[in-house]
Amino acid sequence: MRSFWRRFLGNPRVAIGFVWLAFVVVVAVGASVLAPGTPFAIVSKPFAPPIGEFLFGTDSLGRSLAAGLVHGARTSLLIAILATVAAVAFGTFVGSISGFYGGIVDDVLMRLTEFFQTIPSFIFAIVLVAILSPSGTSVVIAIATVSWPPIARITRGEVLTIKAREFVQAAVVVGQRDMAILVGQVLPNALSPLIVTGSLLVANAILIESALSFLGLGAPNLMSWGFQIGAGRAFLRDAWWLVTVPGTAILLTVLSINLVGEGLNDALNPRLRDL
Amino acid sequence: MRKLRTAIVAAVVLVVSAIAGSPASAQKPGGTLVQITQPEPPNLAPYISTSAPISQVTAKIYDGLLEYGFDLKPKPSLAESWQISPDGKTVAFKLRKDVKFHDGKPLTAADVKFTIMEVLKKVHPRGINTFRDVTDVETPDDFTAVFKLANAAPYMLAALSGYESPILPKHVFGQGDIKTHPNANQPIGTGPFKFVEWRRGELVRLDKNPDYWRKGLPYLDRIVVRFINDEATRTAALEKGEAHVAGFGAVPYNDAKKLAQLPSIEVTTKGYEMISPVVELLINTKKAPLDNQKVRQAMAYAVDRQFVIDNIWFGFGKPATGLISSNFAPSGLYTAEVTKYQVPDGIERANKLLDEAGFPRKDGGIRFEIVHDITPYGPEWQRFGEVVQQQLAKVGIKATLRYEDVATWLKRIYSDYDFALTSNFLYNLPDPVLGVHRAIHGKLIRQGTVFVNGSQWSDPRADELMDKATIEPDAEKRAEYYREVQKIAVAASPIIWVFELNFPTVINKRYKDVIASPLGIYANFATAWRE
Repeated sequence: MRSFWRRFLGNPRVAIGFVWLAFVVVVAVGASVLAPGTPFAIVSKPFAPPIGEFLFGTDSLGRSLAAGLVHGARTSLLIAILATVAAVAFGTFVGSISGFYGGIVDDVLMRLTEFFQTIPSFIFAIVLVAILSPSGTSVVIAIATVSWPPIARITRGEVLTIKAREFVQAAVVVGQRDMAILVGQVLPNALSPLIVTGSLLVANAILIESALSFLGLGAPNLMSWGFQIGAGRAFLRDAWWLVTVPGTAILLTVLSINLVGEGLNDALNPRLRDL
Repeated sequence: MRKLRTAIVAAVVLVVSAIAGSPASAQKPGGTLVQITQPEPPNLAPYISTSAPISQVTAKIYDGLLEYGFDLKPKPSLAESWQISPDGKTVAFKLRKDVKFHDGKPLTAADVKFTIMEVLKKVHPRGINTFRDVTDVETPDDFTAVFKLANAAPYMLAALSGYESPILPKHVFGQGDIKTHPNANQPIGTGPFKFVEWRRGELVRLDKNPDYWRKGLPYLDRIVVRFINDEATRTAALEKGEAHVAGFGAVPYNDAKKLAQLPSIEVTTKGYEMISPVVELLINTKKAPLDNQKVRQAMAYAVDRQFVIDNIWFGFGKPATGLISSNFAPSGLYTAEVTKYQVPDGIERANKLLDEAGFPRKDGGIRFEIVHDITPYGPEWQRFGEVVQQQLAKVGIKATLRYEDVATWLKRIYSDYDFALTSNFLYNLPDPVLGVHRAIHGKLIRQGTVFVNGSQWSDPRADELMDKATIEPDAEKRAEYYREVQKIAVAASPIIWVFELNFPTVINKRYKDVIASPLGIYANFATAWRE
């Protein structure tokens, strides 16, 4: 275990990603203290410059960009994490059942998974949000719905290899029940690829959420980075900071998550590093 | 000697050409005008659909019986003269005798009768209302059309343009089902431009009609109507001179403001005088606590109209005082003598009214909560919703925003009445009977019909006045009725009339006289010319 942490945090790229993510998490948690009140409040003249009374200036209606960023961090992270947890839970469930039982169950579940995989994921997310009407919950549902198939495929693959191992066969001989074998023996050994994929899914979820908000399909009462970019894009030529600042926030956060995810992969699969 | 003669000839030629040249420098034929229309129209059948982009194309193809000047007075078009009987129940139009449809067949009174009685009165969304009192169109000869009315209809004479009431050829549209007619997207009219082709997703091409009944017109050889989905690309096309005219919000308001500073471009807000859009906040007056008049008045005080105009519509508007646009001031129908909600101490007044209405501030300073449905028309409307939310918060009303697609939103507002507050804009059109009654008349509380009285408010006195004004031939009396209607409705505040939207029309300065009518881009461009 110690060697895992050493491998993980000893990687400078991971450390950088980790520092930024920690910063974002602190900001998101402390949003109400850092920027009290609603981030939609009109606090000043529109288009206040980024250096001046307000950090990062104000948008076309005179809303503080900094307050929006802080609350946007909370929205983006919360939605991304909830959606990822839902996607991983469902994907793992489908994949493990499919891999463990095989046969007709496997066929049905995998054809279902493929059905979801063939629909272009972002278009599918747009359709889902449009049908459910935009809100925090519907955005989470949409992202989770388009994100679970890869998890299901990976889990199935892992379960297929692990269930052929001797210790699983031993558990069968001992007379453990299916669920006990699956949960107690198989899944714990399939965990590391899931953790890596899951962490990368968070980054993907942030991107989908931002893109939906950019198109005006985000939760209308929640400030988010994508919303800020969408609201500012018409003014790119007059007020560059409206899109640049939240855009940079998305870039850094998604990059950090990817760095950490890769670091996790390296640390969990030490053999990969030698290749 | 020879040299001298040459010199004299040259001088004469110069003088002659200078004399001949002066009128030519005014208007000269030729050129292609590229118009941007957004979005692409769903069809080219203005007789059956009032979808906004359609007539930006078809008004160049179809003529109406009349045209209008900027004073909103009717001018001859297909009808060269008209007579109204003293009781207003008979209107006789004399048609021009030299008008041919684009397929070469002459226009006769039979075409007018067919268009009014068989098409517009039956299937045109607004024609059903405009021509409801027309019992028959008599055609004593080929070039006379006599409208017989059950009641005087002073508003009808304002609705006979090629935009509102296009005259169709009976020999084409009389065959088959008008609702699914094959010529819906192959329009054949009498107008200055002929339909050539429609490349879906790209453009509609219209060419000069050489046999147009106004001799020497149109000046332009061709109009190309382009459809460009991306708003930044539309702005860039106008900036570079690849496109020459765009209106109706096709150019983002902040971009229109910027384009106006270029030497090559002119931005005008003229050409919407017969359309007069008014942006409003629609209140469900049947839903507590908004059934309380004081609450509605407080909300009207809380909305800062000028902030909305300046920061969302970038100055392209003017605070509205009530349901009738100030464009009707020349005819006396408009009055500003109503309850004034745009006042410096609006917030204090609103707070006081809400206290009186029995909604004290509770936890967190909130009096009550409502849901505000954002109009799904684009970013301006989303910003509008966000601003209204903030402005209502100042007086202790917590509004939660909800955003749905157009179909769901329409159903929620006009079919289910399952809303508290939403925004919208309605055209006043050329007469209150056509554009204003639908918003507040008690008879127009029609569940399931969109864009009619969604606030479900009505007042017996206001209804009576509107009914009288509908059939009153005397202009001064009509104006008096409408002034009283405005007082009653504005005081009750079933709708917060926020501002009169002045759409910017962006025009390349090489093109002159493009906006030559109160219908602007909905006019026929016959007199537009290129420098």
